[in-house]
Amino acid sequence: MHASSEELRAALVGLLPRLRRFARALARDHHDADDLVQLAVERALLRSAQLRTDAPLANWMFGILRHAWLDELRARGRRAQLFVPAEAAAQVGDTSQGEHADTLAVQDALARLPEEQRAAVALVLIEGLSYKEAAYVMEVPIGTLTSRLARGREALQEMLGESPGALR
Amino acid sequence: MIFSDETVMAYADGELDASMRAALELAMAGDPLLAQRVARQRALRARLRAAFDPVLDEPPAPRLLQNLREAAPQPRSATVVPLARRVVGRRSWPQWAAIAASLIGGALLGPLLIRTPGAPEVLVRNGQLQAGGALARALTDQLASSQAGAPVQIGVSFRAHNGDFCRSFVLHQPGALAGVACRGERSWRLEVLAPSPAGPGALSGYQPAASELPASVVRTLEELRAGEPLDAPSEAAARARGWHR
Repeated sequence: MHASSEELRAALVGLLPRLRRFARALARDHHDADDLVQLAVERALLRSAQLRTDAPLANWMFGILRHAWLDELRARGRRAQLFVPAEAAAQVGDTSQGEHADTLAVQDALARLPEEQRAAVALVLIEGLSYKEAAYVMEVPIGTLTSRLARGREALQEMLGESPGALR
Repeated sequence: MIFSDETVMAYADGELDASMRAALELAMAGDPLLAQRVARQRALRARLRAAFDPVLDEPPAPRLLQNLREAAPQPRSATVVPLARRVVGRRSWPQWAAIAASLIGGALLGPLLIRTPGAPEVLVRNGQLQAGGALARALTDQLASSQAGAPVQIGVSFRAHNGDFCRSFVLHQPGALAGVACRGERSWRLEVLAPSPAGPGALSGYQPAASELPASVVRTLEELRAGEPLDAPSEAAARARGWHR
């Protein structure tokens, strides 16, 4: 059984905020992130027949969105995008909404991770997926997922240091 | 016993099996350094969430909704009025639910919103879709275990991932609608609202089973839900606390 496209559309509208959060973690730039969400939604509607009912819709969408992001990176040239220079990262984000300084620091640090580690961190630590689910989304064995996650975490801790307010 | 960084991380992520978890917890009790390593992992997760969760509350990009709305088929009934068009001003997050309702056919929403006299069951306040009138009262006061004959039937009460208390419901009058509402600081936020397959005028006095809820409502419920629905004592305790976290 697969969801009718009407049901799928309704479910996708409900998922848009989470898709945008995941896209923002991957792409950093707000406009790029929204482009990614839009692209993922278009692809999902085209491929609704492939929708698997054995996994949550959100996870299927995260996989589609990440593929769209990898395509985008390839199109732009991988090298330029995998590591956003520190000075550029500070300008990439839209700071007009008065974001907290720590928010910016965390977003910048995440943007500086290699894409594989960033996606693992975003799926497990931000989106709250289990290792198994995150491995499914990234189409890698669980061992690969956990080692990317571990390296991503270590790099983030190193960049961010201990925030006095974060340890309670 | 020495615990690797990956084990500590897996513990912080809730991924260790029961025996390893017990071993680590035992060790942690006598090893402040180990406890600190765990706390460090948890703190990082909390910082990431604090940095990215506000994205969820940003108003949706009109083009994204446009994208989904244009793809929608023609409404089956000429009386369908997309709710999104009625709502003016800045859209904030709960209105995504309203837009979702419009996509699956919000035929019954229009009359509900503008109904007079009496307090409307569904209202838009500060750009949010909220429960009002009899619906808000039922969400606040009614227990799922005792509601025979009530115009609003509460399905299940549960905790969402963010800790909020949420309840599914079917509203029989004036139109058959089903949805999920979550308790905010001062009001019930409607997370999803859809025409109920039970149809208007369905007999009251029964508890809506999941199979009687529209698919979009069931899906939202499953997305939101953290853990099992509240049993009768927990539900009564939550009500006593005014459904605040």
